[in-house]
Amino acid sequence: MRQSRRIESLGSAGLVRTQGMGADEIDLRSDAWVVWGSITAFFLLSLLPWRSMPMAPDLLMLVVVFWAVHEPRRVGMFTGFVLGLLIDVHDAGPLGQYALTYVLACYGAVVLQRRLLRFNLWRQALHMVPVFVFARVVTVILSALVSGTWPGGAWLIGLALVCALWVPIGWLLLLPGNRLASMSASTE
Amino acid sequence: MATKVDLELFRRSVPAQVKLVLLALLACLLMVVDAQTRFLEPLRQGLSVALYPFQRVVMLPRDAVVVVQDYSNAAQLLKEESEALQQQRIELSQVIGNAAQLVTENRQLRRLLGVIEDKPIYPAVVVEVLYEPATDYRRRLVFNKGSRQGIGPGMPVIDEGGIVGQVIRVTPFSAEAAMLTDEQLAVPVQLLRNGLRLIAFGSSIPGKVEVRYFSSDTDIQEGDVLVTSGVGGGFPAGISVGTVESVERDAASGFARALAQPTSHPERYRHFLILKVPITTNGTNEVPDPSNPIVGGTHAPVTTN
Repeated sequence: MRQSRRIESLGSAGLVRTQGMGADEIDLRSDAWVVWGSITAFFLLSLLPWRSMPMAPDLLMLVVVFWAVHEPRRVGMFTGFVLGLLIDVHDAGPLGQYALTYVLACYGAVVLQRRLLRFNLWRQALHMVPVFVFARVVTVILSALVSGTWPGGAWLIGLALVCALWVPIGWLLLLPGNRLASMSASTE
Repeated sequence: MATKVDLELFRRSVPAQVKLVLLALLACLLMVVDAQTRFLEPLRQGLSVALYPFQRVVMLPRDAVVVVQDYSNAAQLLKEESEALQQQRIELSQVIGNAAQLVTENRQLRRLLGVIEDKPIYPAVVVEVLYEPATDYRRRLVFNKGSRQGIGPGMPVIDEGGIVGQVIRVTPFSAEAAMLTDEQLAVPVQLLRNGLRLIAFGSSIPGKVEVRYFSSDTDIQEGDVLVTSGVGGGFPAGISVGTVESVERDAASGFARALAQPTSHPERYRHFLILKVPITTNGTNEVPDPSNPIVGGTHAPVTTN
């Protein structure tokens, strides 16, 4: 009922091409507990010392961006900003470095969101490669300018790991909401 | 009517581009202000206090493992520790005998010369490493005690080998110290052999301290021992800093630099000592109050709470 009214109003506004997009999104919302629980879990994981390895993947960025794609009404750039700020404080690094990374990555997710939902996880991961690379390169250059030292190239390996982990971690995150079936149905 | 519906559907929140520009600008502003000034310290402290419980919670498994390990081989540990202490005691008794003689002699000579100098002994706090921040280019340690235990920025951190670093930032529950090898730290030092005053900096070579800004004909050689000179007030005089490993003399520029190996070992143990050197707002230390019974005593009281 609500859905049909929505499509009607879209039609009346003259935006015919968005008709099909809105249709399969209605019942695909994950539980708030899954979203915030997974973000909290990965945030706590990020407080552990394994991140001091130069090629450690930024799993928190992965999860936040993943939810910015799949739950854009709950998670967005502001969430990324706040979490990034907290990581900056934990790392005792320049305040705002991770905040900027996460904001840029979440913006990429917001822009690509409509398109990404039409693809399966493998293709989503490929779409996200330039987003992650751009977000990280900007902050690596900025923090190198501020601190005066170049951090080397190990973060590229970390980025590659983040993109590779999009598929398994995304699969796990979508498992509780039973959204995998609907997603694969939409790609076929 | 149609336009109203349109608004409701598509202008539900701030457009993504506006959000991006605002948040990205804010992040850049924070970075610049944080790198140049200290205005953001309250924000950092507030966030740090909010983070503290989470940091403790995720460290719980590690702490539990440590407790169980300590408990399971307590007898062995105690035996080893007592042997080490026994040995130290014998070595120290010889040193003390010598030192007592030197002190009397020194005092007499000072009286003869009319020089009055009281070397204050500062109270100290034992701290434990909470975690090591994951930064690529800085050497930092975060300790588990902060301004509530009287720790303030500028206080030196030492271990049994000598200077480890300096506290640069405190929150109520934690303190962040820059290690001797951090490029942002400079320590006024003195050569033990000839009393030459120099400044030691953190080096871009990991684990080393660099001595810079002295002319190439200066008398400094491999094996020289560096101790703090006490100049500038941040560090008490006479604490071991490092041993000179190599000296590079550049005849063209007329300057030389030396690399030294720190005598402290911040990577080995979990416990360190922070000396409560009184720090004034301009960064130099105050003249210790002679009426204070702690300062100037023969033993530095160590609080472990």
